[in-house]
Amino acid sequence: MKAERFARLLVLVIVVGLPALVVAARSASRGPIELRGVMADEGGWAPAEITAQVGQPIQLRLTSDDVIHGFAIGQRDWPAVEVLPGKWTTTTLVFDRPGKYTFYCTRWCGPNHWRMRGTIEVAGDETATVSEAPPLYVTLHLDLDAPHPGDVAPVEKPSAARGAQLNVAPQIAAGAYREQRPAQVWRYLRDRASSSTLTDQQVWDLVALAWRSNTTTERLAEGQKLYVENCAACHGETGKGDGVMAASLQTANTSDMPGLIGHGAVTPIDFTDARSMLGANSAILQGKIVRGGMGTGMPYWGSIFTEAQTWALVDYLWTFQFD
Amino acid sequence: MTPAAHRLNLLDRPSVKAALVNRWPQLILRIVALAGFLIAIVSGLIGTPVGSHNFGIVFVWIAWWALLMLIAVPVFGRGWCSICPIPLPGEWLQNGAVLGPQKKGFSLNRKWPKRLRNIWLQNIAFTLVALFSAVILTQPGITAMVLLAFLFVAVGASVIFERRIFCRYLCPVGGFIGLYSQLAPTEIRVKDAAVCAAHTVKTCYTGSADGYGCPWLLYPGALTKNTYCGTCLECLRTCPHDNLAFNIRSLGADLRQPAGRKLDEAFKAFIMLGAALIYSAVMLGPWGALKSAAYSIGSGPWLMYAVSFLGLIFGVLPALFLLAVAAGRALSGSKATLKKSFVTFAYTLVPLGLTAWMAFSLSFAFANFSYVWPVLSDPLGAGWNLFGAANVSWQPYLTSIVPALQAGVLIAGLVWACATARQIAAETQAERAALIHALPVMGFCCLVTLALMGLLIA
Amino acid sequence: MPSVRSSSRWMVIGLIALLLAVAPLPIASAPPTERRFRIEASSFHYTPETISVNPGDHVTIDLVATDVVHGLYLDGYDLNVTADPGQTTSLSFIVDRSGAFRFRCSVTCGALHPFMIGKFNVGNNDLLWRSIGLAALAVVAVAWSRPR
Repeated sequence: MKAERFARLLVLVIVVGLPALVVAARSASRGPIELRGVMADEGGWAPAEITAQVGQPIQLRLTSDDVIHGFAIGQRDWPAVEVLPGKWTTTTLVFDRPGKYTFYCTRWCGPNHWRMRGTIEVAGDETATVSEAPPLYVTLHLDLDAPHPGDVAPVEKPSAARGAQLNVAPQIAAGAYREQRPAQVWRYLRDRASSSTLTDQQVWDLVALAWRSNTTTERLAEGQKLYVENCAACHGETGKGDGVMAASLQTANTSDMPGLIGHGAVTPIDFTDARSMLGANSAILQGKIVRGGMGTGMPYWGSIFTEAQTWALVDYLWTFQFD
Repeated sequence: MTPAAHRLNLLDRPSVKAALVNRWPQLILRIVALAGFLIAIVSGLIGTPVGSHNFGIVFVWIAWWALLMLIAVPVFGRGWCSICPIPLPGEWLQNGAVLGPQKKGFSLNRKWPKRLRNIWLQNIAFTLVALFSAVILTQPGITAMVLLAFLFVAVGASVIFERRIFCRYLCPVGGFIGLYSQLAPTEIRVKDAAVCAAHTVKTCYTGSADGYGCPWLLYPGALTKNTYCGTCLECLRTCPHDNLAFNIRSLGADLRQPAGRKLDEAFKAFIMLGAALIYSAVMLGPWGALKSAAYSIGSGPWLMYAVSFLGLIFGVLPALFLLAVAAGRALSGSKATLKKSFVTFAYTLVPLGLTAWMAFSLSFAFANFSYVWPVLSDPLGAGWNLFGAANVSWQPYLTSIVPALQAGVLIAGLVWACATARQIAAETQAERAALIHALPVMGFCCLVTLALMGLLIA
Repeated sequence: MPSVRSSSRWMVIGLIALLLAVAPLPIASAPPTERRFRIEASSFHYTPETISVNPGDHVTIDLVATDVVHGLYLDGYDLNVTADPGQTTSLSFIVDRSGAFRFRCSVTCGALHPFMIGKFNVGNNDLLWRSIGLAALAVVAVAWSRPR
């Protein structure tokens, strides 16, 4: 009798107790907010909306329920945090200004990777907010969606290095640089007396030089990093618009169930297409990046990249046309 | 029946006998297994949906399966059944006790219907689990549901029927463990049949104050094969004449028993062999279309996969085998009916199937065993680190020698199967005729072995 | 005499088995070349599913992830590489071991991740040929042996 009672007790403690302990330990409420990530098609971030107070640190525990994701706050230069399947990473955030911050996934996780975003509403003294200026294309009243064919194109890829050897000053002011289109600049330089002895290609080299001298090696490097991490999956590693995700945009467009992508999706832009690119200007490119494609499948990055990052990316995009 | 030759009774060593007859070591192991089983269910229900970091998936389909197929079954036959957690809650209810016999328990103790006293239900259950395995093995929630279903059915069976009906007639795992236990180098048998003849009460079957009557509904006095003996060790406790032995013996001894070969067991051999072939192709092969088909339940490709799966195990393999048996039978002038030949020679596939599963499990288990360490430290994938190993990263083990191990196991299995074929033939025919009867069956075994080599080693 | 004959049978069989197991097989005689493979990884398979090279080749694998982050771990060589979509990653190595090797995904990429497998064939699969030979020998040996 005693042995049986002890045996029953052992069963109770171990067989019932251990699993119950496991359940209890898991259910115990914890301080940090648990943020679970899945691909956007399956729901994205949960929770997708977080609230915080200015100056108050919030601790987040992050995990993925399917594939590798990442976590970062838009327009902040805090390093991205890994969000790994079945494992947890912790991060602490402190916001010094109130406002609506976007958090987003930083590792491509399917065609809807860029839709995997959420917001952190930070409450605080409203007078501390800084109002943002509208993007350049708005100030210039440019239509982002209008086609912009350049009427001329170089025979081979223009090179800033070759242009530098010509010892002709291109004379484009930095401000105007963002509004100018390469095709127009070429026309302008072609017509100037100081370049009358130059070939068409050499004038293109001057255009390349003008573009190159309006940026720095650091900005180009930053732009390249942003391109590789955010754009190459659709626009291709060589900029041709043939990235690994391009096919799914096409499929979504023609299928009965386009899912999140929708029917308006188009093929990603080919940055190596001289006719089209050389008729655009930096303001248009920046505007497209900030505003997005309005249903074409091109994400909007306005809440993700800082203005400086966006311009660095635009500078890099020109390297698909100019060496 | 005198005790068979070449048997070493482990119970002759007092320490071994004490450890086995005493209920506590077995109970401790059972408690651990049951706790693990329930934690696996809990992990599946509330843990991370990422299978590789979930205790339920890793411990059931990688750790337990590897230990079962590579050690427990080949060495101990139905040894796992001795500590299996699934029937325990029901059995404790049924017995009204956790340890030894007490007063009454709670059960209707109905007898199992005569028509269902075979392993066909187990065959069907295993086939269903195998058919849906791509989803079951990868989704913790689904694994939890399947385990809960087993538990529910087992408890229900214990409350309605007598003894271990679930284990004997319903458990899909028991279906193949039983068949393969015929190969194991261990057995429980009576020492001296004359002692049993003189003992009128047969407490090994009826039970006594010292223990329960065989929960597996066997009469140990007449036990000649391991197939349905779950090594629960009750008969060791109930026999008043110490007439039970726990023997070490040579491999495959039960295959030499001509009596008790049945069609349901023969088909179990085909199901297991076919499943080993298909699993090797789907899970270890490079063919993405197959894997997608196996996973996308309800779709057109899955239906084709299901039809092929069922067609292979219930159609193609038995048909080819029937041809081989028929050819051998005709060429050797055997007097046995075709059905009898088919059923008896099907036992050739028992060692072939076990080694096929071992070869498959070697690759699958070694490649993924490293998930065990982090999952022990963080069973729910909740960020715990109980033993400090939560961040150990995945690392496949021994990938350069696994193919050679697989080859060795497959060839050993082929030798064993061919030897079994000859031995089965020799039961009814003279040497030369027996060899001719066995040759086409040996050819079938060779073909299957080559197919497995092509899938696992090529 | 029967026992001598049966033991000499076993010696013959043993000798042939030994030969099959260790005798040197002809090595693929193609000269080592530079090989480059673009392997696309999607959930849950690789394209191409199988690649074949010759021993001594200098192989470069460009791993292109097409939907989520995938990895490639090569059995037998213990080499590992990971790629994000949009960022092709390359793995370069000299193929010095012959045989058939599996490569597997090394980054959790969804439900069927443990089954995401491809095959890498280097030269002749000696193990397979020897095993086939030994399997045939096994049948012959059992058929030839004297029953107990």
